[in-house]
Amino acid sequence: MITIKDIVIGFDNDLFAIDKVDFQKGKVHVVTGRNGIGKSAFLRTLTGILEPIKGEIVLDKKPLGKYSNREISSKISFVHSIQNGVSFLSVDAYLMLGRSNFTNMIGIASEIDLKAIEKAKSIFGIDHLSQKYTNQLSSGELQLCAIAKAYVQETEFILLDEPTAHLDYQNKKKVYELLKQISIDQNKGIIISTHDLDLAFKFPFEFFLIKESDLKLHKIDGFSAIENEFNT
Amino acid sequence: MKGVKSHAILLFSVLAGIFSLSLYGLLFGDIPTEFNDLYHALLDYSDREVNQVIIREIRLPRIMMAIISGAALSVAGMLMQTLFQNPLAGPYVLGINSGSSLMVALGVLSGVGFFNSELGLIGSALLGAFVFGLFILFTASFLRNQIGLLLFGVMLGSFVSAIITILEAGSKAEALKSFALWSMGSLNNVTVEQIPIILGVFILTCFLTFFIVKPLNILILGEEECRLMGYDIKKIRILIVFITALFTGLITAFCGPIAFVGLAVPNLTRMLFKTQNHMILLLANLLFGSFFLLICDLTIQLFSDVLPIPINALTSLIGAPFVIYILIRKLR
Repeated sequence: MITIKDIVIGFDNDLFAIDKVDFQKGKVHVVTGRNGIGKSAFLRTLTGILEPIKGEIVLDKKPLGKYSNREISSKISFVHSIQNGVSFLSVDAYLMLGRSNFTNMIGIASEIDLKAIEKAKSIFGIDHLSQKYTNQLSSGELQLCAIAKAYVQETEFILLDEPTAHLDYQNKKKVYELLKQISIDQNKGIIISTHDLDLAFKFPFEFFLIKESDLKLHKIDGFSAIENEFNT
Repeated sequence: MKGVKSHAILLFSVLAGIFSLSLYGLLFGDIPTEFNDLYHALLDYSDREVNQVIIREIRLPRIMMAIISGAALSVAGMLMQTLFQNPLAGPYVLGINSGSSLMVALGVLSGVGFFNSELGLIGSALLGAFVFGLFILFTASFLRNQIGLLLFGVMLGSFVSAIITILEAGSKAEALKSFALWSMGSLNNVTVEQIPIILGVFILTCFLTFFIVKPLNILILGEEECRLMGYDIKKIRILIVFITALFTGLITAFCGPIAFVGLAVPNLTRMLFKTQNHMILLLANLLFGSFFLLICDLTIQLFSDVLPIPINALTSLIGAPFVIYILIRKLR
């Protein structure tokens, strides 16, 4: 469980504050708010890349700052909003990079690693892309591969920064369905930032809004709260 | 996994090529020698036999240096290209050689005792390369543009050239000649006694490189990804620059500047092997780099009667058009 209490998020100056919020395993949490309010900064803070300006994030009863980079990478994975395909990097090789915590010192995969990748490919429906180079994929395919890579990292939490921003409707729906499925089947905690609320509200997710009025993160229950926020 | 087989075939072919070229280089030259001479020169040496002396004292160090410097510069280039995610990076274009050149110039031209000793020369060349490498790394942190970084490297080179010219203008004829010859690049300057130490440093540095294969593979996706996978990116960056400096400084100290090998070979291997697995790329660069410089050396030997070609000139003649080709292809 990730517990956040009395912290301030930001780079050089404050972006927004959080009084108290918990993120649990087995659930999908959706964080929303207007552009530039600090959603990406918030997710980066949860990965330890960015330090909170004030306060502490507690991951499984221990402050995030007390974990080593390696320990965090075994508990939290992160998917960027934009993926860059790399020439000569096949999808299989790309997914294997997600297994870095498991492969041996020079990166050679074991039978377990190969099986983990096969399983991820079938869950995300990307078997047919195995041998393709990542720069030959469409943005939708690339996004699915990126989520699959975070999945094979076998972390308790997966954070995704605007995972549906560059996708068409079909792919958006597919991504949300997959996230719901793995949060339940694998008991993973999933935290996403997004603007695609119309679609997201059709899923049994937990919603959080960074309110413009007080610059704080609030848990919200219905669509009306969002409408109020964006109409003011 | 179908690639594994073709990769192995490619690597073994080049290995066979290296072996044949080395054998050819050891046996043939201005003075013909026989296989028997080679056997004795290597395993049962007598310095009273002229043929054996030629093989052991002249040809062996030259061939060894072709193999080592080709391999070292190519791996250094691979490291720079991955670190800066830039197909046009290399130890020479980024001006890492210039660091070594400056230190060697200070040593040879100033005539200060410490720099003129062998250890002083290697040490200062390595230090020069490392300091310039860190300088490039620092610059890259705010100069995100690929071409911009290259221009910076070229400017660094020009700046160092200017300092060297000033040093040259004020130095004695003897020192000037020895520095001018060094700056043309040559595989002939190394004695057979120096080979073990060069080989030792080279193998040690290769060994170090094997240990960063995993972070290198992730670095392809960017520095933040590397950090997210649990690596301390600052340490990794400095380690990469350190290894590059060891390779580049070592070769520059003994053979002078050798341009473009570190840029052309890593690009060639990525195209041929079609992989981003640095374990394979490392082996490929070691072997293809050696093979490439052996071919250069062979060319030089073939023309030696007609026209003495400095190695730095030859690699530039081949390398510069290749860089233009990549520029047009990738950065159009």
